[in-house]
Amino acid sequence: MTSEAHAAGREYRWRMPTSWWTRSRNYFFYVVREFTALPLALWLLWLLVEIKRAGDGPARYSPHGSAAFVVFSVVVLLFALYHSFTFLTLAGTIIHLRVLDRPVPPSLIVLSQFGLWAVASGVIAFVLIWFGR
Amino acid sequence: MPDKKVTIQATRFDPDHDEKPRLQSYEIPFSDESMVVLDALNYIKSHVDGSLSYRWSCRMGICGSCGMMVNGTPKLTCNAFLREYWPRPVVVEPLNNFPLIRDLVIDMDDFMHKLKSIKPWIIRKQEIPLGSGEHRQTNDQIDEFRQFSECINCMLCYAACPVYGLNNEFLGPAATALARRYNLDSRDQGLTQRLPVIADTEGVWECSFVGECSVVCPKGVDPAKAIQQTKLDTTMRFVLPFGNRE
Repeated sequence: MTSEAHAAGREYRWRMPTSWWTRSRNYFFYVVREFTALPLALWLLWLLVEIKRAGDGPARYSPHGSAAFVVFSVVVLLFALYHSFTFLTLAGTIIHLRVLDRPVPPSLIVLSQFGLWAVASGVIAFVLIWFGR
Repeated sequence: MPDKKVTIQATRFDPDHDEKPRLQSYEIPFSDESMVVLDALNYIKSHVDGSLSYRWSCRMGICGSCGMMVNGTPKLTCNAFLREYWPRPVVVEPLNNFPLIRDLVIDMDDFMHKLKSIKPWIIRKQEIPLGSGEHRQTNDQIDEFRQFSECINCMLCYAACPVYGLNNEFLGPAATALARRYNLDSRDQGLTQRLPVIADTEGVWECSFVGECSVVCPKGVDPAKAIQQTKLDTTMRFVLPFGNRE
């Protein structure tokens, strides 16, 4: 057996090896997907700190002035896109709709989710740019 | 091709003598291209080493009893052709994530308890007398649950699920798929009896959607879909007005 395990009583107890996520491509990308939540959370914390600083006046708010913040933000954006892509793709599996007594194809459901995502992103970008001028 | 050989490396574990499992190599004739891993194990048992223990029954992918890890992947050994591995050695191990009883035989008790907990049978509030005729269903009503009824309880999905491997309190893929099979059945009225189990924190909410359960299923059941749909359904029951009504 390739697993780490231990004998207990008359049965041999299975224990997951710590390297389980390197065993298959699916496991690896699953762990990557779950991991993306961590930098996203850190980025949001950082943003909250910057918003707090902005409360002390515009001069104090300059997150884009830091090269580290820009690089970190680009990396987090890639993670956010990957996480969003996997989440929205899942909609085709989860949502079970019938229209005119016929099931809606999963591909159409996924497409609608990506469409809504694009529209929501556009609206948020417009609001931020409009009010940020 | 009388001289063609294949190497089978099978897990051996004697609970009375062994501290931990080990692999034992057997070189056997690969006489027929249609040979499957189960045929190889049966050859070993009949001609080489009669002490090798493993489960099997139907040899045709119906009973679900011959599931094992074949070169690290959960497979029904009656459906794993040697030609797909030859000339590499074929490593046959017991299903991951379960306690090992002997050689390739795992302890299924945990799964059996989980299976029973979701009440995988049709529940009626009031039985309809036999004399009043059968429960009629349309094709659409049958299509709602048909794929989930294909589950043969082979437990390959549990062996593929790292969530279950890390926390065996998790209800798991097959039990949830079967719960959904009955919850979607128009004849069934047992949803509220199954909800405490499937909507529990160790029920569908423990799943973080690895998806490997659906990949390894030999019958094309999609347990990951059943779990995610159940998450949506239980959330809707909680959120929507009158969502908890029968």
